[in-house]
Amino acid sequence: MEQQTPTPPPSTPQPPELPQQPPPSPSPPTPTTTASTASSSAALPPPITATTSTSSLPSTTTSPPLLSLPSPSQNPQPPTSTPTPNTQTRPAAAAAFNRAWQQPTPISHFALPPPPLPLPPHHHSSSSSASSTASASNSSSSSSLLVPPPPRGGMAIGVPAHHPGTPPPPPTSFSSLTPPSFVQPFGGLGRNVTDSGPTSSSSQVRPTVGGMQGIGMMGTLGSSSAMRPPGVPVRPVQSSPRPQSSPSIQSPATQNFQGHGMLRVSSVGSPGSPSPGSSQSPQPQNQPWLNSGSQVKPPLPPSRPQVSPQSMQQRSHISQQHHHAMTTTSQQQQASSSQQSQQPSTSGAGTQEHYGQQLPQSRIQQSLPNQQQIARNLSLGTQRPSHSTIPSSPVQPGLPNRAPSAEPEESCNRILSKRSIQELVSNVDASEKLDPEVEDILVDIAEDFVDSITTFGCSLAKHRKSATLEAKDILLHLERNWNTTLPGFSGDEIKTYKKPFTSDIHRERLAVIKKSVLAGETLNSRSSAGQAGGHPKGHLAKGPTSIVGSPPDKRT
Amino acid sequence: MNNPSAGPSSKTKVGSSQSSETSFKRKRGVFQKDLQHMMYGFGDDPNPFPETVALVEDIVVEYVTDMVHKAQDIASKRGKLLTEDFLFLIRKDLPKLNRCTELLSMNEELKQARKAFEVDEEKLASTE
Repeated sequence: MEQQTPTPPPSTPQPPELPQQPPPSPSPPTPTTTASTASSSAALPPPITATTSTSSLPSTTTSPPLLSLPSPSQNPQPPTSTPTPNTQTRPAAAAAFNRAWQQPTPISHFALPPPPLPLPPHHHSSSSSASSTASASNSSSSSSLLVPPPPRGGMAIGVPAHHPGTPPPPPTSFSSLTPPSFVQPFGGLGRNVTDSGPTSSSSQVRPTVGGMQGIGMMGTLGSSSAMRPPGVPVRPVQSSPRPQSSPSIQSPATQNFQGHGMLRVSSVGSPGSPSPGSSQSPQPQNQPWLNSGSQVKPPLPPSRPQVSPQSMQQRSHISQQHHHAMTTTSQQQQASSSQQSQQPSTSGAGTQEHYGQQLPQSRIQQSLPNQQQIARNLSLGTQRPSHSTIPSSPVQPGLPNRAPSAEPEESCNRILSKRSIQELVSNVDASEKLDPEVEDILVDIAEDFVDSITTFGCSLAKHRKSATLEAKDILLHLERNWNTTLPGFSGDEIKTYKKPFTSDIHRERLAVIKKSVLAGETLNSRSSAGQAGGHPKGHLAKGPTSIVGSPPDKRT
Repeated sequence: MNNPSAGPSSKTKVGSSQSSETSFKRKRGVFQKDLQHMMYGFGDDPNPFPETVALVEDIVVEYVTDMVHKAQDIASKRGKLLTEDFLFLIRKDLPKLNRCTELLSMNEELKQARKAFEVDEEKLASTE
């Protein structure tokens, strides 16, 4: 690791040295440096780079293995070269190691733009052993590296200039949260040889403005968790002014556009196919993405409250700012989910999934007010819905424009309205204000809660051989599973007390123990003078056991 | 299961038949009058809603029932139910615990005072 920091710059000059070592098997080192035979070398690099990276890590002494790694067939060469490049191998190893690190990062950047193609390499790198994928991606990125230079430096994705400095820090930053990494997922992914999913490493990669595509990519890659945004960024991708890359972008965008599920499916499917051949294709696509991305950057208004469709798209581009990215993506996600009128369950599940880590506690807290809400709903009956629907429209003005248009339609599908959530919050703290996405999530949580309660209550009613769902079914479920009592609905029944069941044997044994303890105490009191004290206790210890042992014998 | 309750008349609406399915109906309004005064003491209207009183009574009965069941679980080992079991249950709630101990001690003092008073009366009667 430490070798990387000083070596990044020297890494580039070092590659030329490498060819000396394994001239016959230039595949591993050369592809990264020369990037000529990206596709062909793809097969070779995996095993080689894996070995090289692993070998280079240990120490300089690995130089011989490093040399031998390139290929077993080329054994004669390495031995000859070993004596001379002792010094060279060391920097070479370091360079190779560094390269292994660097390559993934630059590649990840480039790979981002062409969602379908680059996905597989990134996916591989993030999920499976990094070395193999990194090598593959390295080969592709290396080629791309050479070609597109930094004119797109504005583009967050794949800014080659930044790579040298960035690789070293990222490994440490992996531990950071995922949400902000949306923007630069691939940057992190590239590095995530060991880690999984995008992490804060992207922060260092920073320049990832191309969050748009990055985000789309993210969705596919991060399909495992918290990869909601994929759906959101899709829209902006399509609408963004990308004349050059429009055709290329459209295909990935459409894929992403189909929804979270599609994204996941596509992500799953993509990794397999494109990995080998995608190395070269990404390049031309990357550039147009970069170009378009840089163009889109300027018009980003970072105003959060205004989540208009346009701003949403812009936001997706803007997602440079991590905190913004997180919030915007989540908002966009919410917006997209509501606009797309997707099933609340999916969006709820997604949001919950996304925020699952962050809101486990709040969820529990919310369950109580939800129950109160439900109790109120039960008691007040029809009054509640009218109350909730009427204030919903006037309440919306402060919220984003899209919300009112989408909310009224959604409110009929929802149990709670945002207005009631705000009322509940005001009951807790008058000065408290919730973010729109928090309200959305709370509504989703409430809905899921009611759903689960009703389902279990129905199964209990069925168990009761009744076709009517009664209050006692709900009450029983809440009492047993949620440890919640709802006063006022229990009816006229009295809860009967069940004596704890004790088997006969247990009672007998307890009685025997009591007797022996009493006997021992009397003995102790009698022989309280010193020495004898120890013996009776020993007697006592043996006594109960012998007595206890007898009953079972009797039984047997 | 049929509990041989102490006050079947007050509790049983359905005759205690042989089947174990009979559930004793709870008599409503057991605490109605007292609760109204208590609620007024805590800030409610002098004449609260009957539904409110019924709800508060439900809460109280539920709480007491739950407490007794738990105390019985603890005391089943000893075999007898004592006040210490209840004190053990509310040990975590300091205000309640202190109030309980205070009430118990006051009860003891009152007993002592009554006993002394009666003795005094007897003495007076005897001296007379």
